[in-house]
Amino acid sequence: MQKKIRWFNRPRHLVFIVSLLIVLMVGFGCDNQYYDERLKMQVQQLDSDLKDRWSTSGVVVLSTTPNGPADKAQLETGELISYVIAEYPVQNAGDFNSAMKQALDEDNNFILYLKEKPPLRIALRRRGDKVGLSVEGNGTVRVTQIQPGTPAANTDIQVGDIIEKIVDERKIYSLDDYKDTLGKLSKKQFTFRTTELIGVKIAAVNALGDLADVRAIEPLVDIFKNSSEFSLRKGAISSLQRLVELSVLNDLFQQFQSADVNQLPADSLQPQQLESAAILGLLIVDRTENTATLKAPFGTQFRHRSEALYQKINEGQLAELAQEYIQIEVEPEQEIRRACLAIIGILKPISAIGSLIAVLENPTEIPGIRFQAGLALSQIGQPAVDALITAFEKGDTSTKDIAASALGGIGGSKARDQLIKALESSTESAIQLTLVDAIAKISDVTSIQALERQLQQYQQDDESGVRIFLDEVFRSLEFSNN
Amino acid sequence: MKKIWLALALILFVVGCGTQNENLAKGKELIKSDKRRKEERAVREFKLALQQQIDSAEAHYLLGYYNSQEFYEPNTTDWAEASITERGKQMFLAYQEEQRKYLERLVFETLRDDDLDIQNAALDALKRIYKQGDRKRLLSQLQKAIKSSDNRDRHNAHWVLGHLGKEDPGTIVPILVKLLDHRRTETRLNAVKALGEVGSEQAIPALAALIESGSARWKRDREEPEVRQLAVEALGKIGGAAVPELVKIVQNKGSSLRVDAIRALAVLGDEKVVEPLLEALKEQSSRDVAIPLN
Repeated sequence: MQKKIRWFNRPRHLVFIVSLLIVLMVGFGCDNQYYDERLKMQVQQLDSDLKDRWSTSGVVVLSTTPNGPADKAQLETGELISYVIAEYPVQNAGDFNSAMKQALDEDNNFILYLKEKPPLRIALRRRGDKVGLSVEGNGTVRVTQIQPGTPAANTDIQVGDIIEKIVDERKIYSLDDYKDTLGKLSKKQFTFRTTELIGVKIAAVNALGDLADVRAIEPLVDIFKNSSEFSLRKGAISSLQRLVELSVLNDLFQQFQSADVNQLPADSLQPQQLESAAILGLLIVDRTENTATLKAPFGTQFRHRSEALYQKINEGQLAELAQEYIQIEVEPEQEIRRACLAIIGILKPISAIGSLIAVLENPTEIPGIRFQAGLALSQIGQPAVDALITAFEKGDTSTKDIAASALGGIGGSKARDQLIKALESSTESAIQLTLVDAIAKISDVTSIQALERQLQQYQQDDESGVRIFLDEVFRSLEFSNN
Repeated sequence: MKKIWLALALILFVVGCGTQNENLAKGKELIKSDKRRKEERAVREFKLALQQQIDSAEAHYLLGYYNSQEFYEPNTTDWAEASITERGKQMFLAYQEEQRKYLERLVFETLRDDDLDIQNAALDALKRIYKQGDRKRLLSQLQKAIKSSDNRDRHNAHWVLGHLGKEDPGTIVPILVKLLDHRRTETRLNAVKALGEVGSEQAIPALAALIESGSARWKRDREEPEVRQLAVEALGKIGGAAVPELVKIVQNKGSSLRVDAIRALAVLGDEKVVEPLLEALKEQSSRDVAIPLN
């Protein structure tokens, strides 16, 4: 009886074990990771939709085993393998045919390297179509015949060309693809082509600009200097610009920090800084309640970070960097030159005056950027006056134009007297207009008297542009006095 | 026998017609007309109708629906009585008189209205029902709406559930989490949005699981990209306790949602994020790596 029961139970056990195995197999099968025994590394399937969203595909390196082939090749964790590239040197006709067969498998295309010619991509329309090349030779393999109407006939290949090698690039779409391609690869050596997920880095760079943390400065400078991707460099410099903008608000934020509060009376704070902080979205000013309240999370967190950021930015490294990259010879991208000029305008380093004048005077530079250099000089203020006067005196019309408005923006007696002197000796109407405008910006007693003298001089001349402009200037001066 | 029943029914009908509130009928007539300031005049009728018959569900509802503050001088009593909460209260009173009818009306009709004030009044009424009325029935109607094939109903239901959830996450979050398994993508989408609006930490594990499903082997196990993307946004709205989960996404180099996670983290301004972001910057650029095999 006992035996009978055991016999009866045995299939049940079997069923249990088999089903357990199936469950385990399915479980392992669902795993999106795979350990490549040959290369000694763990790879991971990419999210399915990465392909659609970033038009990238491949497998990601999760880890490499020390001293394994992958580790020795210095593959790094996180790299996205999107192509496997195999090279087949061609020594004789047999090499050529077997290499072609291998390379055409699955994706129907390969790259042909001919001696002294650029690489040619040959693609077949259908599997099994003929490439159309006949070759011959040992050691040196030459094309002997090209069949008309085949892919080879549509390229630049000529009879007698020497074939060096065949390269097969295979795109990796999935983990299965990876296993399949590498499994079939009989080659001793091959190459992985990896794709940088630039979007991730751009997002990180932008986020770091917002987080206003001092640790971000060095890495951002590094990317800005060394990356070959324009979008990444542009992101890095605009994040740096934002950090610079934030750092100059340190005084304001230290008032909150030293009082250890998130709200202060608005009239106890410097109005200009208050306004910039409000524009940057760090605090809210309520004039009726007379309050300035830090906005969470940035405003409230920034008061803890502002001092460190301020210290780091004022070490001078950033000003130097910006000074270097405002030069068109150094930086071909105008957006980056603009960002650098903006940084200089905020940091106002006196050491930048020379390079700013060079930009201002550079006839090959875009007018808008030359003007921005003038603006940065006027932000630096009095220390830039002498250099601007010199630039005005020896410069061409557009240099004069920019230098004059910069001087008007700076003001002070020296700049004013220079502008008045220039106006009284100038005969070129375009320059005269700029000078009138610049002098009107200063609008102290002396400059108004100078403008009145000009007005008298042009009294009879109703058609003159200067006269019309002067009338306008006086109208607006009256308006602002009322 | 039949004749007696018929007579009885006729009598009831006549009596019913007789008790039909005159002001109510007049107000409704006005709404249908093209008279000047008809809504304002109709509201006056509805108020009179309620003076005569305090339990008129329809008069309460219509008062809640039409009594706009635009009709009155600010800071007057009438103006105050036309506030969103007062209108919501009127709609709730209508519900109390005829529960089934007005619950359905509020969820599937009033919420669909173009007028934001009316939508808000309906929301207020539904909040009152949640607190004082048949909560179970309300929740089942809202679930019906969020599962609906009509986009408006789904959207409205997510909006209401989001609001209810802020006040009572303990009840609402599990309902929304359960909806994450619903077969309709748009329903899951709205459930995720609502979870973001509720902003409760309770939802983090469910949202995390949904996000991770992107690397599942079988297509049927993978959530749609747009739902997963919204789930990342929802984690961002939850903030605080969700930061480690978002950091995990940034660190998962196979995830397609790293950019979304970084954006969500940037908004939160959490210092813990700086290190993982700096790590991301160190990743290799595109290159060719030669692999020697022995």
